[in-house]
Amino acid sequence: VKKHTSSGLDAPQWILTMLRWFCPPQLHESIEGDLIEEFQVIIQSENSDKSALRKAKIRLFFSVLRFFRPGILLRNRFTISLTTTIMLSNYLRVAARNIAKRKTYSFINAFGLSVAIAFCSLIYLYVEDERNFDQFHEKKESILRIYNVALDREKWQKKDPDLYRTSAWLPAKLGEIMLDELPEVVDMTRFNRGSSATMRYGDEIFKQRVSYADSGFFKMFTFPIKVGNPHNPLRFSSDAVITTEVATRFFGDEDPIGKTFELDLNETKTFTVAAVAESPPSNSSIAFEIIIGIGNQPGFEQNREQWGSFAYPTFVEVKAGTDLSLFQTKLDTLVSKHLGSVISSWWKDDDIPDNITLSRFTFDTLPEVHLNSKVDWEQVSDPKYSWILSGIAALILFIAIINYINLSLTTSAGRRIEVGIRKTIGATRHQLVSQFSLESVVLALMSMVIGLLLAVTALPWFNEFTQKTIHFTVESFPKIFLVVFSITVLTGLLAGSYPALFLSRFQPVKALKGALTSKMNAGFTKPLVVLQFALSAFLVISSVIMFRQMKLVTTKDLGYNKDQVITIQTSAGWGDRATQTVSQFRNSVGSMPEIVNVAGTSASFNRGWAHYGYRINDTTRFAYVYRVDEQYVPLLGIDLAAGRNFDESRPSDKNAIIVNEALVKEMGWSDPLNAYLNYREDSTGLGAKVIGVAKDYHFLSLERKIEPMFLMMEDRTPLTTVLVKISSDDIPGTIEKLKATWKSLYPDRAFEYSFLDDDVSRQYTLYERWTSIMALATVFAIIIACLGLFGLAGVNALNKTREIGIRKVMGADELAIFVMLNRQYVILSIIAFGIAAPVSYYTMQKWWLSGFAEKAVIGWEIFTLSVIGGLLISLGTVTYHGVKAAGINPATTLKCE
Amino acid sequence: MGKDFLGEFEEVVLTIVGVLQEEAYGNAIVNEIKLRVGRDATLSAVHVTLYRLEDKGLVKSHMGGATNTRGGRRKRIFTITSAGMATLQAMKEARMDLWKLIPQLKIA
Repeated sequence: VKKHTSSGLDAPQWILTMLRWFCPPQLHESIEGDLIEEFQVIIQSENSDKSALRKAKIRLFFSVLRFFRPGILLRNRFTISLTTTIMLSNYLRVAARNIAKRKTYSFINAFGLSVAIAFCSLIYLYVEDERNFDQFHEKKESILRIYNVALDREKWQKKDPDLYRTSAWLPAKLGEIMLDELPEVVDMTRFNRGSSATMRYGDEIFKQRVSYADSGFFKMFTFPIKVGNPHNPLRFSSDAVITTEVATRFFGDEDPIGKTFELDLNETKTFTVAAVAESPPSNSSIAFEIIIGIGNQPGFEQNREQWGSFAYPTFVEVKAGTDLSLFQTKLDTLVSKHLGSVISSWWKDDDIPDNITLSRFTFDTLPEVHLNSKVDWEQVSDPKYSWILSGIAALILFIAIINYINLSLTTSAGRRIEVGIRKTIGATRHQLVSQFSLESVVLALMSMVIGLLLAVTALPWFNEFTQKTIHFTVESFPKIFLVVFSITVLTGLLAGSYPALFLSRFQPVKALKGALTSKMNAGFTKPLVVLQFALSAFLVISSVIMFRQMKLVTTKDLGYNKDQVITIQTSAGWGDRATQTVSQFRNSVGSMPEIVNVAGTSASFNRGWAHYGYRINDTTRFAYVYRVDEQYVPLLGIDLAAGRNFDESRPSDKNAIIVNEALVKEMGWSDPLNAYLNYREDSTGLGAKVIGVAKDYHFLSLERKIEPMFLMMEDRTPLTTVLVKISSDDIPGTIEKLKATWKSLYPDRAFEYSFLDDDVSRQYTLYERWTSIMALATVFAIIIACLGLFGLAGVNALNKTREIGIRKVMGADELAIFVMLNRQYVILSIIAFGIAAPVSYYTMQKWWLSGFAEKAVIGWEIFTLSVIGGLLISLGTVTYHGVKAAGINPATTLKCE
Repeated sequence: MGKDFLGEFEEVVLTIVGVLQEEAYGNAIVNEIKLRVGRDATLSAVHVTLYRLEDKGLVKSHMGGATNTRGGRRKRIFTITSAGMATLQAMKEARMDLWKLIPQLKIA
């Protein structure tokens, strides 16, 4: 049997050390004694076998942990060591001297850190803004946005892995029955953002987006009413609430309350301004300019009776403290009671297995709406963008920190004597560590000031790229400052910690005797340089791939000619009046020499589309449909692979279609010109005759593959857009002429136009923004990393001064010296690229290219070019020192002792 | 009683300190609680309570002898003060007064 010693040595020392960290000294001895006693008792009582020792150790560990509690911790008397306080001024003075003495290195460090801090503060603002969305509503936690998760017919047919589509557009009736039948629901409002409508006040005409809501809207949401009826501003169906901005624009300085104006919504209606509300802030998911009662929305009364019209986003307010999972169950029951049979009747022909849910209604709370990217919403955002931006900021911060560590380590030789003397006089290692950490924190704080200034300067630019309106305000600044300050101090400590530990390790005797050569062995710098390079290379390769893709997207031949085409909205609702506008306008302007052609379409590119589903031979087929006229195909220069264009002089062409090759392929037609497409599911006839086959062209964004599509001339779908092709010279003059003609023809309609190529490229705005942000981050990362490398190369050349001298005396020429100095950087760069290439390839495939159906090819040349470019940049950076060092006359370096 | 109110665990610890006299230190109190009250108290809870009682002036402490099993560390011995005795007394009486108010079960 092992005899236990009395010293308590069996008790693991590290656990007792842990206790010493936090235990007040005056209590420490008796507590430690009690713990050791407890430990010994366990060992002795359990026959001293191995397991008893283990058990005792575990018990000891947890006993110590239990002492980590306020009742013990707060008995610590916090004292500031007098020595450290007195030395503080000395530390600061030495730090300032050091920063001033090594201007190049201080500049490199401060530059890197300030850019990194500027990035961090901007991105913090972004993330904070994302998180603050919709937080201003007083009842935010009890307002639920209802949405629908439904089996998607097209996905079901194509056996897509995700069978469902999610939508916030709901039947009008759902909200009503929820309010009637669920006791938890205290209020309900539907809100439809609506579309642009013509508004007339006196002689003036405005084009204004009009939104629709139930009367409870202003009770539920916190949009303060500035003037007018604050309680129930949408009481009457002719009531309208407008924002302060709209009020100023429409009525100027006049009192807007009680003013009446006309709105064109299918028919013209008169509205009275009942209240003026503050404009919704930019971080609101719900935006509006004019709100009128939802009953005014065209088609509302019919839609209200039909479960099949999914057109009304719905919000409900539940009682505070409602159990939401229970509420979901009740909602499910309610839906199956009213809607169950309706939904299954929509799917009765499709043989859906019982275990597949057809449709489900669920909800999220108002603050969740903004970041729920599954549900389409005007202002929705994906939280992944916050993560990516934070990642970029962290990368840059990291690169800057590595600069600091590397430069401090390699220049540490110069601090040798200082450390030696301080230690001899009596400085403890602990004091030296605090001194060097303080130095890095001082530098970081200086960088913080510059960084914040940079951030303030760059904010307007940043807002533009992120589509936000973030401002530094008096209220927000303290918080931002606090966050940035914490980041800065942490950065300073992180950057300073390793150099501090390294420097404070010097032994005074060796340091002062000068036994070491001037070169200190800080082997840890090389992996750091590789890491830094790998991070930069990652950014470089990623931005090159992003640029490639953007170039492909913007220069790809879309299969039609989008240049010099102006689109004009007919602004005459959904009917014959709109269709007639096209031919009237053509007759009026067609003879102008600047006008090449005028055509009409039901939807211009990137301004909506129609997607039809229809059953042929018991399979549901889907196709995109455009109503056009006979000028459409020639105006856009769409190539026909077979057949002919529409001809308005042939009445039968009203029932004819031009299909694209993708549709021919899907239908499996061998002779498409003799085929019919019964898309109206007409049981008596054959359907529409195919008169032409258009070569595939990209009518949707390049994110999508070319899907089946056809053009038709059927009158039931009106032409809503006039396309005008103009000849190249004097575009503004031509637009003026078109506008004048429009005004004389339609004095009551606004002239709203855009350029087709702008519309098309607007589809890629988001991608372009990300490419720019990435490019900017890359440029800064490269600059910071190169500055770091520049400093490092300088120090290394200096460290090797005597070696170079000796080599030159022995006969090495300048080229050999140059190669000797720089070989390691080439090797390090290549290793770094080797690490970065697969990582960036994978990331870009996953994150960026997966968004496009038309993908840029990532070939070896991208990597080769990046490697060569990177090598050239890094060699260019180190050349200055290399050439300088290689050119020194050995006599000057060797005689120095 | 007012501000001199003691928590239930505090009362137990204070009583045990009174019971153990010169032997009242952390481990001994834990063991005594286990023995007399049948309840597992942790060392840290006992220590925190003792320090709190000391703050209230109900116990006082001095450093006692070291033993081998303690690895040479001294014990902190707690003794009950007269204020502590008075509080215990007061609490006991208050409880007895309350106890008497409960209607006694009568056996018919």
